[in-house]
Amino acid sequence: MTYRWSLGWILLFACSGMAAELEVEVKAPDSRPLAHAVVYLLSDAPLPPVKPGTVAEMDQIKKQFKPHILVVQKDTQIVFPNSDSIKHHVYSFSPAKTFELQLYKEKQPALPFDTPGQVELGCNVHDWMLGYIYVVDTPYFAQTDASGVARIEAPAGNYRLYLRHPRIQDAPEALETPLQLGEKTRHRFVLQQPLLPSLQSFEEDTDEFSGYE
Amino acid sequence: MKPLFTAALLICLPVQAAQLSGVVQTALVSADDSHSWQNDGTGLLRHDDNGIALEQSLIRLEQTLNTDFSLDIVANYHADGEQHLGLTQALLQYKPLSAGTVKFKARAGFFYPQMSLENLDTGWLSPYHYTQSAINSWLGEELRIAGLEMSLYSPGRQRRSPWSWELYVGAFRGNDPLGTLISWRGLALHDRQSLHNDRVEFAPYPSVVDPSRINHPDWVEPFHEIDGKTGGYAGLHLSYFQRFELRYYFYDNRANPLAVNAQRLYAWHTRFHSLATSYQLTAETKFIAQWMQGDTEMGPRGVEADFDAWYLLLTHHIAQHRLSLRLDRFMVREDDIWPWDYNDSDGRALTLSWRYDLSSQWQLGLEQHFNQSTVVNRATVGENMDTEQNQTLAIVQFRW
Repeated sequence: MTYRWSLGWILLFACSGMAAELEVEVKAPDSRPLAHAVVYLLSDAPLPPVKPGTVAEMDQIKKQFKPHILVVQKDTQIVFPNSDSIKHHVYSFSPAKTFELQLYKEKQPALPFDTPGQVELGCNVHDWMLGYIYVVDTPYFAQTDASGVARIEAPAGNYRLYLRHPRIQDAPEALETPLQLGEKTRHRFVLQQPLLPSLQSFEEDTDEFSGYE
Repeated sequence: MKPLFTAALLICLPVQAAQLSGVVQTALVSADDSHSWQNDGTGLLRHDDNGIALEQSLIRLEQTLNTDFSLDIVANYHADGEQHLGLTQALLQYKPLSAGTVKFKARAGFFYPQMSLENLDTGWLSPYHYTQSAINSWLGEELRIAGLEMSLYSPGRQRRSPWSWELYVGAFRGNDPLGTLISWRGLALHDRQSLHNDRVEFAPYPSVVDPSRINHPDWVEPFHEIDGKTGGYAGLHLSYFQRFELRYYFYDNRANPLAVNAQRLYAWHTRFHSLATSYQLTAETKFIAQWMQGDTEMGPRGVEADFDAWYLLLTHHIAQHRLSLRLDRFMVREDDIWPWDYNDSDGRALTLSWRYDLSSQWQLGLEQHFNQSTVVNRATVGENMDTEQNQTLAIVQFRW
């Protein structure tokens, strides 16, 4: 079965062209690069599903979600380890995944994330904790680095390119664009609306005793 | 009351998860000569014997009952004092998951209002010093909420704001003798939290114990309800990221100062404001301060005293080391109609400690404490009103 699927995908890629690279740059209105932004490609043609058994990790370290933003392909399993010695109580009310998990030292089973969209995470013990999971229905995704650049490798062809980040306020239609992916393609998003405040300072190193728990 | 009733039912249900933790501290003490208030003396420190002492031993059980409810119980064993084994906190917490930016939570049971920014470690211990500030030594020995606390709170990050706030209101009973110790003995400096059933001794001041005067025992059991009236408090927490925090509380036990029980313990009408702040100067260095001002009244203005105390604390944490320095100032001033009962006292203290984490479980510590105090009541038991005290503690701590 797996071989038959693989053969099918190989044939599909052969039809749509050789592997190509897309470089996406994301700039805020003040021309500063936006790091950790999620970019991904969707296509009218069927795209390869996630490899069965794919597991991603959203850790809790020093009373923060690590990473702050995680992007996974639809149907990925996500495990929530607890690297702290105290309890966490992770929850989400987002339509893409509504759940809660009480996290102790013992490892919890992974949860499936099977609906595309943004999942906002909180902790009911540590109210300042905030994290995001973007579930995308494509294997062609990446996150921008500190210079605001992300690279996606995908077969050449016609796609729509999407951009997501929790601080972006631009209208959704400004965050997607049709894209013909050639051997070396570049795209730049320049945001028009100011970004929401970073609030990165909630993750500053503080004294380990920072409040009643 | 419905959540409380639900909670009571839930306690009977199978439990999901429990966390058991504990702290034991053993001290090598170089004590001051002055006798401790615990041994009928007028000294302001817990120890008055050189040698090995049990500084702390406590077990904490945190039990998750379901998504919304959890139990938090702290039991302590003290080798010193009148009672040795008991609870210092036992509470049921209700904190439902909520998608809103303004949320609700509540606590019921026997607990501390969260006034202090000093007592942040397990079991309300201070991670900074062993000998706690005068303010929180007093809260630890005489104040506890046996009641219900409700809170509205708004975590800033969920509103995309650096500012978070929390509002608290509480109602309680069983804290009527609050004020006894500071009016006669004065404020002290220690880490012995009273147990739920505890009795705290002090020197037999003649004006207090004389049957022809106040005729009060030379001890107090702080957690009694004497007049049947409910007390209350309100608090506001404000924080900017996790860098700066401000906590203001107003407490009033609304006691009837004329009420007295069969043990001759009075209800003391005690009110105070508490303002605490902490500021993270760098990732390693934090500044903490607290100021408290209030008054207490017993009898027909037989004792009426104003109290005022503050401390400044600087703590620096680098690698496995923590150095903390605290300066305390505290005073009680009387304004009452019994000239033969003395309540004036004032003092200052300096406490320097070094704590070193050998591992996540073992910690070594050294503390040097110095205080200087004037307590007018000392003269009535034939002691000098002015005293200076020195204490050195070397501590081994184990936690799990």
